[in-house]
Amino acid sequence: MIELFDVTKRFGDETAVNAISLRVAKGELCALVGTSGCGKSTTLRMINRLIEHDGGEIHLDGEPVRSFDEVTLRRRIGYVIQSTGLFPHWTVSRNIGLVPRLLKWPKERVRDRVEELMQLLGLPVAEFADKYPRQLSGGQAQRVGVARALAADPDILLMDEPFGALDPITRATLQDEMRALQARLHKTIVFVTHDMDEALALADRLVVMHQGRIVQQGSPIDLLHEPANPFVESLLGGLDRGLKEAALIQVGERMLPFGPRLLASERIPYGASLSQALSVMLWHRVDRLTVVDEEDIPIGELSLRRLLGAKAP
Amino acid sequence: MTSSSVTTRAVATQRQWLAPLIWFILLLSLAAGMSQLEWLFRLLEPELRQVIYRRGDFLALLGRHVLVVAIASLLAVILGVGAAVAVTREAGRDFLPLVAQLASIGQTFPPVAVLALAVPALGFGTLPIIVALLLYGLLPIVRNTLAGIGSIDPDVHEAARGMGMTPRQILRQVELPLAAPFILAGIRTSVTINIATAALGATVGASNLGDPIISGIVNGNTAYIVQGALLIGLLSLTVDSIFERLQRRP
Ligand SMILES: Nc1ncnc2c1ncn2[C@@H]1O[C@H](COP(=O)(O)OP(=O)(O)O)[C@@H](O)[C@H]1O
Ligand SMILES: [Mg+2]
Repeated sequence: MIELFDVTKRFGDETAVNAISLRVAKGELCALVGTSGCGKSTTLRMINRLIEHDGGEIHLDGEPVRSFDEVTLRRRIGYVIQSTGLFPHWTVSRNIGLVPRLLKWPKERVRDRVEELMQLLGLPVAEFADKYPRQLSGGQAQRVGVARALAADPDILLMDEPFGALDPITRATLQDEMRALQARLHKTIVFVTHDMDEALALADRLVVMHQGRIVQQGSPIDLLHEPANPFVESLLGGLDRGLKEAALIQVGERMLPFGPRLLASERIPYGASLSQALSVMLWHRVDRLTVVDEEDIPIGELSLRRLLGAKAP
Repeated sequence: MTSSSVTTRAVATQRQWLAPLIWFILLLSLAAGMSQLEWLFRLLEPELRQVIYRRGDFLALLGRHVLVVAIASLLAVILGVGAAVAVTREAGRDFLPLVAQLASIGQTFPPVAVLALAVPALGFGTLPIIVALLLYGLLPIVRNTLAGIGSIDPDVHEAARGMGMTPRQILRQVELPLAAPFILAGIRTSVTINIATAALGATVGASNLGDPIISGIVNGNTAYIVQGALLIGLLSLTVDSIFERLQRRP
């Protein structure tokens, strides 16, 4: 659990972070969003003491961060940055094993752990273990960055725009993997991003920052339904808000069993989002879709009325 | 890995060391067998009775030359890398601009001038030449170490700190290895300059490969000058080709 109480940071005359309070429960993924320069990275870096806060208190599991030795503290917290910061003169496996080696794990345990993580992140050991960072694509390098952060199995993960530099397709893949990973590992994560879609897709809790302050926080759905002010509303997509919400709901949640009518000709996977279903309807000019499972077997149907939220008859 | 590829690699490594080895063998043979070439030098100075420099044997002069350069260079590496590291630490940052500027300006100072200043302070002999070489050799090493440390991606540094490396671990495992190619290039410049500059030591009483050159100039004996210059040239080529080889390592 991470708690911030009235935390403030000034750089000279400028107040980068202004009296923010925040609580990230154990196993929760908290996304910090806001325009560039609003203090997201500063907030993140105060948690692992790469920057010292000027006012307020930061607690991990009830203990002030200042009560830990900073090196010990950082070894207990995973840290992922946009540019990866992989060591260019070290191989992938050596990069991943960094923190376990700092913690003086025995050699075999480090090696086993590195291989385990490479498998977890879809990096075949035989192919990647001895590669150097310059030989990796952006997506592969960021997978290594995440593996390195997870190496010593920290409870807490700090991620600063980890997928911000990737192309949209790779980014979407890594976001999916991130969600699957989090469903398995239940880390306590603070995730900085300026991409609202990414935040909506990943976050349990969304924290909107503006000029060093928190302007609103809550679940993605709550924020979409009741933005606190026009700034949050525009950040959440303005007129696109309906689609953003639809992107958070799965087809499976709205589908109905087959009715008496013939099967609709167009199909949509059960795990797709309502916004994708709407897109398929618009594209084919139809108001009914057949919902299929992973094996492409029809399991129900989705009508436009249901998609719009009509109650089951 | 197959055994044949191991052999191929070993052969390739040997071949890469071939150039330094050839220069080194040439250097030693010439130093040991200069008198065999008396007929050749006689063509240069047919009038003179003595055409091979006799006052010191060439192997001993070569040995002293190498020793002086080695001592001065070793000290220059320790002091130069140390100074550059010190001013890139948190505590020493205030001195970074000063040291960087000194290292650049110092390069434009001619070595003869350094020597001329060292003699009144330290007297004649080997000590002033070592000091002069040390001071002069320091500059490229400081400058290159600063450039090497400065070239490291700030995000690599950020990640190293964020992972919980101590400042000492960052220096030894990240900064120095990444700066190593720059540092090596600085040492190469420094040593190469110093091999030539050390010859000036003969003017202040240090005996080395500069002796035959100075003696040749004083006595008007071109053969002596050529002998000293040939050996210094071969020594430079040997050392430079060793560095060339070291720098090509991945
Ligand atoms: N080390 C620093 N020194 C001075 N100012 C800084 C430093 N780090 C950040 N700032 C300033 O603090 C503000 C917030 O920066 P940051 O937290 O990086 O924003 P974000 O990550 O949201 O884009 C910016 O105005 C930035 O210029
Ligand atoms: Mg930032």
